[in-house]
Amino acid sequence: MKLLLVEDDVENAAFALRGFREHGHTVDQALNGRDGLYLATESKYDVLIIDRMLPVMDGLSLVKSLRSAQILTPVLFLTTMSGIDDRVEGLEAGGDDYLVKPYAFSELNARVNALARRPPISNQVTILRFADLEMDLLKRTVARGGASIDLQPREFQLLEYLLRHADHVVTRTMLLEGVWDFHFDPKTNIVETHISRLRSKINRAGDPELIQTIRGSGYSLRATTKTA
Amino acid sequence: MRLPRLLRTTSFKLAALFALIFGVSAIAIGAFVYINVKSTLNRQELARVQSDALALKGEFDSGGMSDLMDAIHQRQHNKIAGGQNYTLFKSNGERLFGNMPKLLLKAGFKHLTGPPDGDEPPGQLEQLLVYRQQLSPDLWLVVGDDIGRMRDLSADLLQIFGLGLLFTLTIAIGGGVAVSRTFLQRIDNITRTAEAIIEGDVEQRIVLGGAGDDLDRLAATLNRMLDRIGLLMDTLRHVSTDIAHDLRTPLGHLRQVLDEASRHATSTAEYHAAVSRAISEADGLLDTFAAILRIAQIESGSRRAGFRRVGMSDTVASVVQTFAPTAEDQGRALVVHIDPNVEIDGDRELIIQLIVNLIDNAFHHTPKGTRISVSFFAGDGEAVLEISDNGEGVSPAERERIFERFYRCESSRTTPGNGLGLSLVAAVAGLHSATIAVLDNKPGLKIQIRFPMAGGRENGTVHGAAESAVFRTRKNSIA
Repeated sequence: MKLLLVEDDVENAAFALRGFREHGHTVDQALNGRDGLYLATESKYDVLIIDRMLPVMDGLSLVKSLRSAQILTPVLFLTTMSGIDDRVEGLEAGGDDYLVKPYAFSELNARVNALARRPPISNQVTILRFADLEMDLLKRTVARGGASIDLQPREFQLLEYLLRHADHVVTRTMLLEGVWDFHFDPKTNIVETHISRLRSKINRAGDPELIQTIRGSGYSLRATTKTA
Repeated sequence: MRLPRLLRTTSFKLAALFALIFGVSAIAIGAFVYINVKSTLNRQELARVQSDALALKGEFDSGGMSDLMDAIHQRQHNKIAGGQNYTLFKSNGERLFGNMPKLLLKAGFKHLTGPPDGDEPPGQLEQLLVYRQQLSPDLWLVVGDDIGRMRDLSADLLQIFGLGLLFTLTIAIGGGVAVSRTFLQRIDNITRTAEAIIEGDVEQRIVLGGAGDDLDRLAATLNRMLDRIGLLMDTLRHVSTDIAHDLRTPLGHLRQVLDEASRHATSTAEYHAAVSRAISEADGLLDTFAAILRIAQIESGSRRAGFRRVGMSDTVASVVQTFAPTAEDQGRALVVHIDPNVEIDGDRELIIQLIVNLIDNAFHHTPKGTRISVSFFAGDGEAVLEISDNGEGVSPAERERIFERFYRCESSRTTPGNGLGLSLVAAVAGLHSATIAVLDNKPGLKIQIRFPMAGGRENGTVHGAAESAVFRTRKNSIA
């Protein structure tokens, strides 16, 4: 993937750059808003990672300019802790996601991956499939290997989110935001509890595990290689 | 130095201004009265002299010269009308009777000076108003009246006005000075208090005059403001001490972990374990900071601008539903009662966090198997949220403190948590002008939050307005 990181904090930028390069991404870097705008309009990127507070031109204006120039590359905003309220503002300006600094690299990586593959999933899809799991969004039914599974509404939403991000890591925070609409850390194990219930419902005896726990990162819907 | 300052006071300026306005209007009224009185007197005088002359002409017309002379003598004898001067002239100017100087014989009024008759100031001539009346082709009657007294009256009138004005102005200015001095003393009192506070004696308060007037009200308000600032300063001091205190522990742990790793870890696995422990300690610290910042941000009130209609019933139901699996796992009964379609004006995200924190608090501080009840109902313009349990409860002494930052009950010091969950609840409640009550559920704890219902502001049933959340503890509460 080709990424653009617009961030003036050198240490934080170096941390992110190292992480992305380890994961095999190509990353361009800009240290201020104007350079960021120039790079984003000149080349094509998969995801733009933009700090809210930037010299010369702030992140919000940068994204507004991009959007008014019809450049629709997904944008992830980075905000500081004291700017928690900036989220809505950022999303309204044309941002697609936000992350509060300081963050764990795995969180940033998971979100960037989620953004990069957002376009292919269109709203017209009414049936989500993964391995032998099938979800009908209209009838609100789930079946595995043809056998129907009865899910609570929240469990259904959780599975839908995982299906939409199949093969990618989704973090606990992404689930809290996407499934529960909790934009804060509730400090309880509700995600873990719901994942474990979901697992016990979709795994019949002998079925391979579909929801994998990725240590230190989150969860991922992955088919375990049956031969392994 | 004292007087100029006095003259510069607002109250003195006001008194002076009033004196000026009063003086000017008194002069205007005086002038008006004076002119009117004078002209009325004049008119009366003219009428009197003329009617006297006409009456005498009547005597002459009916009874001839003898009747006229009788009438004149009678008048002079009786001194009717203050004693007029009557003189008869022939057309050629020859004086037949009386003592008036010669004058042009032409019908009508004339002012002239005549010989002194004793009632005027020494050295001055008699001031006369005369009326000339032709009695027959060869005979003229001149009636004169002394108008000196009338002039004196005018002068007296002016003098009375002048003295009155002087007296009033003296009282006004004297009063102004007196009032200003009192005012200045009280202002000095406020200034001295303020200076004492600037010097560092923050406990100083303004002494009230006791009259309950506007200055007293101002002083009382200033005192209340000082109390509030004092309270805020205290809170701030506590918060910074608390933060320092509370962050020392996890920082200490972090240091221990790293210290131990640097001295004892030998394998990659051991280093890995130490690093992940260090990361989780650091995350805990960051969480605490995030929570502090979030509380501060909520308390700043800036989010009130983003208030929308929130369907509380659905929100409460959805959050409670989230806890159902955990409750089941822990063998708890989660009793829920929610009135449908109750709305409030607020910040949905923060309301969710408030409910989550309250329920989470109940889960954290009661043993497994304890019943937790969530009820939400509408009543009397308020939307009431109650979270209760039948656990051990909180002692009355601690009930008021559980919403303080970093406060942890004695019994829960060992459970994980940063002591900020309920502080955040209090901040969110305050932002929504909601009141919080900590009640005895007999047994257990009941936290009750009363939100003003949507539209309540327009209907004038505001609760607590912009004040922070009000805490009430009721010892004998509903079972």
